[in-house]
Amino acid sequence: MSSTPVWLRWTWVVPAAFLTVFLVYPLVVLVATVTSGAGVSLIDPLLAPTIWQVTALATVQALVSTALAVVVGLPLANVVSRYRFRGRAVAQALVTVPFVLPTVVVALAFRSLLGSGVPQGFVLVVLAHAYVNLAVVARIVGAQWVQHSGDYESVARTLGASRWRAFVDVTLPSLRSAIASSAAVVFVFSFTSLGIVLLLGDPTTRTLESQILRQTSVLLDFPGAAATALVQLVIVTAVLLGGAVAARRSPARRLQPVGLRPLPSRLGARTAVLLTAIAAFVIVLAPVAALVAASLRGGSGWTLSWWASLGSIDAGTTRLGSPLQAVLTSLGYAGLTAAVAAVIGGLAAIAVIAPGRARAVGLLALVPLGVSAATLGLGILLAFGRPPWDLRATGLLIPIAHSLVAVPLVVAVVAPGLRSTDTRLMSVASTLGAHATRAFWTAYGPVLRVVIVGSAALAGAVSLGEFGAATFLGRAAGPTVPVQIVRLLGRPGEQSLGVAAALAVVLVLLTLVLVLIVDRLGATPSTRRSGTA
Amino acid sequence: MSAPRLAIGGLSLGYDGEVFLRGIDLTVDAGEIVAILGPSGSGKSTLLSTIAGVVPEVEGTITVDGRDVTHAPIHERGVGLIFQEPLLFPHLDVGRNVAYGLRRHGVGRTEAGRRSVELLTWLGLPGYESRRINELSGGQAQRVALARALAPRPAVLGLDEPFSALDTELRQRLAVEVAAMIRESGVAALHVTHDPREAETVADRVIELSALGH
Repeated sequence: MSSTPVWLRWTWVVPAAFLTVFLVYPLVVLVATVTSGAGVSLIDPLLAPTIWQVTALATVQALVSTALAVVVGLPLANVVSRYRFRGRAVAQALVTVPFVLPTVVVALAFRSLLGSGVPQGFVLVVLAHAYVNLAVVARIVGAQWVQHSGDYESVARTLGASRWRAFVDVTLPSLRSAIASSAAVVFVFSFTSLGIVLLLGDPTTRTLESQILRQTSVLLDFPGAAATALVQLVIVTAVLLGGAVAARRSPARRLQPVGLRPLPSRLGARTAVLLTAIAAFVIVLAPVAALVAASLRGGSGWTLSWWASLGSIDAGTTRLGSPLQAVLTSLGYAGLTAAVAAVIGGLAAIAVIAPGRARAVGLLALVPLGVSAATLGLGILLAFGRPPWDLRATGLLIPIAHSLVAVPLVVAVVAPGLRSTDTRLMSVASTLGAHATRAFWTAYGPVLRVVIVGSAALAGAVSLGEFGAATFLGRAAGPTVPVQIVRLLGRPGEQSLGVAAALAVVLVLLTLVLVLIVDRLGATPSTRRSGTA
Repeated sequence: MSAPRLAIGGLSLGYDGEVFLRGIDLTVDAGEIVAILGPSGSGKSTLLSTIAGVVPEVEGTITVDGRDVTHAPIHERGVGLIFQEPLLFPHLDVGRNVAYGLRRHGVGRTEAGRRSVELLTWLGLPGYESRRINELSGGQAQRVALARALAPRPAVLGLDEPFSALDTELRQRLAVEVAAMIRESGVAALHVTHDPREAETVADRVIELSALGH
């Protein structure tokens, strides 16, 4: 690239500095806290039986959640991504909804839907995790499935395989990489879950994430919390790497885009497809409908009083402000996160396509994917929540943590957009007289403008729903909406539940608006930060 | 004279609710290769898919070895298919690809393995059973696809332009070899192609698709 502007070689500096200060340094402090505590060795907290008991509980819970998400997600993937029927686009969009909802909202929705029938604990947590992650399975597996013409299955059938046998022998192996990838993501999400576990769980459903919160806020055992965070980091990294290896080992099949197929002509198969589509609607909408109903229902029937009290300080949990104030706080953080994440992630993505070693920054920007939100929050609190670097009063810690959470998504959205741009456009612009920077903007400007705005909206949505890091970092300032919801639910009385439900509906609407912006701009991230719990 | 292995009566061809050829009558005997000639998009592939049951029939009857299979599921028809692409299962090695149909027909693992080796040797690929699919050339892959299709001894074999992805020289050589092997196996073969020369080379009878129905 002879016409490459010089500054392009230095775009990595800003994201590298940001990530070093706010990601690497806090993680180093975290490790140092474990290893250098007075009279505490690295080994001691790791030898405590609780950490391994919680690991075992979280592993079982995450495995069952993953299995359920895959079992329910596969038929949904098949139907919404392969068949042509009226309402397919709506069904496909609907399947994505649980994925973008803040986990605290999902937890409250499930409590509203099943709270009276299913006791809090393992079953409710697993159901909520499967619900949130349906989209992960349906989208990732569906994207691979849609490319199958069905010819391989036809060959298997002509060789004597029944429909089911052909599915097991031919279809499943060909989807193995997508299933492995999505299962790894679902496992990590369920394993590091916080909001859902806090609101729907019991002592048998603890995660390392909730354990970290307990160790820091109840037991004040920071070395123990840091050790727990390290164990979680190792397990999460191992699972994600395992998923990546399993995906890579899958046999390559030449895939070509295949058009949507008509509904099967056999009545039984046709009915099965349509019933699955209807089930998708019901599964996705029932908890959301229950949430809306909870925001409009009191002991004496339908009411608007929970909505009316959103502006009242009495309805809040602190003297710091009303629930509506929490909305404004969250929106402020979301705006700041959107700006910071778009700049840092955008520059990191440009570094990815730049020549030379700058690509390493692109990889560093993806690291937060493997670090849970609570771990990030704890690290930042340890690094910047006490002298000599006490930034708590500035109100910047939450947007910084949220930006770290969102940066990998911004890179995931922006980098493919840049890569898909024909580099020869830059040369053409140069030959027509544009200087290097002008040539770069001519070639990459149009796509950059779109993907940066789209990814900023995505970062804002992530910030709105994020709970783990905000819990650690939000004590000095006013609470964010998810934190406010959890605090409200911790108080007795129907008013707390009603106001929490109304606040959750507001959060759903705000999130959907941002997601619609992302969708409109065509920025569809292939991954989502696991730690928005 | 023995009954034809494949007999089609009054068959209609259609896809996605649209019928584009009606009243097809055709018989194919054991060891006979009938070439169906027609331009791209004329419905040749749909004819094979309909006989195999991949595309649900619109109307008419399909009889294989005297048995009416018009409404039988694909895996119980005794009709094998070979596509333009070999479509070998990428997660299985060559031997297990060839043995796949045998295993589905209840043949034990050892016996299926032995017969795969035999078939591969017969098709000029001795010692290939442990090879991975991505180690095969285009011609070898198509031979393995033929071995796999013939292994469960289908009554009828549909060949959907199986050599079109190969270069001209290999195409002609393979076409002649495959035709000889099909005749030897006693299967009734229906070979669809848009290439009149290929049709003349491999087939005992050449029929224009449009002449089959109305």
